[in-house]
Amino acid sequence: MTSIGTGYDLSASTYSPDGRIFQVRHHITDPHPAQTYAIQVEYANKAVENSGTAIGLRVKDGVVLAVEKFVHSKLLVPGANRRVQTVDRHIGMATAGLLADGRSVSNRARDECANVRNNFREQPTVKYISDRLALYAQMYTLYSSVRPFGISTILAGVDKTGPSLYVVEPSGVCLGYHGAAIGKGRQLAKTELEKLKLSELTTREAAMEAARIIYLVHDDNKEKEFELEMSWVCSETNGLHVPVPADLLAEAERKAKEALENFE
Amino acid sequence: MDHIDMDRLKTGEVNLGTSIMAVQFDGGVVVGADSRTTTGSYIANRVTDKLTHVHDRIYCCRSGSAADTQAIADAVYYHCQILTQIHGAPPSVAATAASFAKLCYENKDTLSAGIIVGGWDNEVGPSVYNIPLGGGLFRQPWAIGGSGSTYVYGYCDATYQDGWGRDETVEFVKNTLALAMSRDGSSGGVIRMCVITEEGVERLFVPGNQLPKFWEGKEVLSTPLKKTSENAPAPMLIE
Amino acid sequence: MYRSSGFDFSNSIRNHSLAEKGLPLPKVTSTGTTIVGCVFKDGIILGADTRATEGPIVADKNCEKIHYISESIRCCGAGTAADTEFVTATISSNMDLHALSTGRKPRVVTAMTLLKQHLFRYQGHVGAALVLGGVDVTGPQLFTIHPHGSTDKLPYVTMGSGSLAAMAIFESSWQPNMTREQALQLVTTAISAGIFNDLGSGSNVDACIITATGTEMLRNFVKPNERVEKERKYTFRRGATAWKSESIRKLIVNEQVTPVAGEAMDVS
Repeated sequence: MTSIGTGYDLSASTYSPDGRIFQVRHHITDPHPAQTYAIQVEYANKAVENSGTAIGLRVKDGVVLAVEKFVHSKLLVPGANRRVQTVDRHIGMATAGLLADGRSVSNRARDECANVRNNFREQPTVKYISDRLALYAQMYTLYSSVRPFGISTILAGVDKTGPSLYVVEPSGVCLGYHGAAIGKGRQLAKTELEKLKLSELTTREAAMEAARIIYLVHDDNKEKEFELEMSWVCSETNGLHVPVPADLLAEAERKAKEALENFE
Repeated sequence: MDHIDMDRLKTGEVNLGTSIMAVQFDGGVVVGADSRTTTGSYIANRVTDKLTHVHDRIYCCRSGSAADTQAIADAVYYHCQILTQIHGAPPSVAATAASFAKLCYENKDTLSAGIIVGGWDNEVGPSVYNIPLGGGLFRQPWAIGGSGSTYVYGYCDATYQDGWGRDETVEFVKNTLALAMSRDGSSGGVIRMCVITEEGVERLFVPGNQLPKFWEGKEVLSTPLKKTSENAPAPMLIE
Repeated sequence: MYRSSGFDFSNSIRNHSLAEKGLPLPKVTSTGTTIVGCVFKDGIILGADTRATEGPIVADKNCEKIHYISESIRCCGAGTAADTEFVTATISSNMDLHALSTGRKPRVVTAMTLLKQHLFRYQGHVGAALVLGGVDVTGPQLFTIHPHGSTDKLPYVTMGSGSLAAMAIFESSWQPNMTREQALQLVTTAISAGIFNDLGSGSNVDACIITATGTEMLRNFVKPNERVEKERKYTFRRGATAWKSESIRKLIVNEQVTPVAGEAMDVS
């Protein structure tokens, strides 16, 4: 990116000549105001790309979320620092990117859900919450005083319209998917997801596939340790977003490791 | 001052001293109302339409202050259009009733409005919600409201049954309203009804001279005495 | 009498002491009026009397109560005269702007909605009771608007203190699809009923006929209360007063004006 010193990065929100949007901020304490630095939506995407993979599967009777969570220290309590969060009773959310941004966005999502429940005494739909989050994310691309969120978000749940899965990107784009993958290993994960007949799978089968894909995309050479985090919403959970039961998780991990050995 | 006197606050207010009603049945909902609007003892409108459209398959029955309930209905009508735009689908009766209740509850100090919401939606089919004066929200199989309703609670309790069809329900609403209108001085005029089903909304109208009639008493004093039977005591002779 | 600056709460003190003694509060006198509206075959006819009152006094014997909203929308006002005057003027102005920004002819429902929302916002403190009528793309439209902001849509309407007298005429004689002449006659009769039977109404009949082709304002259409020529003269004959002495004084004072400063301003 040629964002510094091009002359297009001095105003608050600027398009570059090739049509990309820079978000530019003057460093207040900088003694040389001419030296501006650009934080871009594209850079925010870089933050997402460096994070562990998160995938979501929308299948015939529910949704499954799975996350490859890097364990950067052996001192961490296993299962702490969850990257999959519950936004409403029936909606789960997985983020890839800056963990702190994920926390902030999930709080916003919870507020949105609470507002729907207050105003209409209804369960919010996953689509509505995703749309609202997209609107929120987009606002952070417009002003010089803020930076865009360094996360992509997968929202998954079962509502009155059935199983739903959406991805919200730092740009504010929101798209619905049968299967979604964000983070480091998203390319390989997407290839694997495309091989599945998602609309014919059950959530139990989907959980197996999700675990397999996370183990597959994990790069042993670069990242040492990781934890598989998995949650789902289906009839078995009574329509609630909950972590998959420990026995199922253990079985899925065992099968994933087996498959990995056969794959190689 | 001990408490705020609502009657004094709103003198000269146009009132819907009313009989309103909504009943759900298998395929839909029947909403009904009388047509009287009063200012004090004067009937400001004798053919009022108190059944107000808020969305394609959702109507509300208004009672209380005409100005307040019209303003609320207008606000909710607008709200429903926004919701339709956001969700790309019509709002549920529950959500619509909830936005009525929210307005009524949050402005309870300044409003006098008793509203019944009835309609049909994709999620639960027909439903009826009652929103009485304080802004509560109650789902009921049938609901009555307005000043005339107090006279017919007993009739409704004794008559209503589950599993009615359209025609029986229409008949029930018509009879209940006629009874309420005959006892309540603030209710009267004609009966307006709407039958709301998945297919659409059908408006029904009963003119004031074709209301169902019930026992209205008979002349007691001026009816000639029945011919006395033979073993009845004979009137005393007066000389 | 000495008056300090700031708010005067003496009325409030008076009302409190009256309330303490259990006496009723002084009655507020409302302005009397008869205004009506009526749908006929080709449009709308509005009618009004021309009396304006201040309590028991007739303040204006020939005022105008049919206000202009737009070319084909007019509004009769009853209640507080200043409120009806200003509320209709404000909405008329807003309707002009609305018509300009939409590039369409204004509709009666638009005026009705603006008026009812304005009146509702003021919770009845803007004391305007209105009869709004006109013809737009959707056809002839007639509404009443009460001071608290409630509206009614009817084929014939009356408002003001004379509304009962006028409504009696409509209820007995109105029929659908009347001709222009029939409707005008009916409106005149209704207003006359107000003029003659209601103390708050009086003087002349104003009428306004609105059709798709145009608006016709019939100011003082009927003048049933014209002052007749006095039958006798009450001036005294010249020389009726005797006088004892005569003195004639000069009342015009001659004064000399000397210009003090500068030249006179050039006003050419």
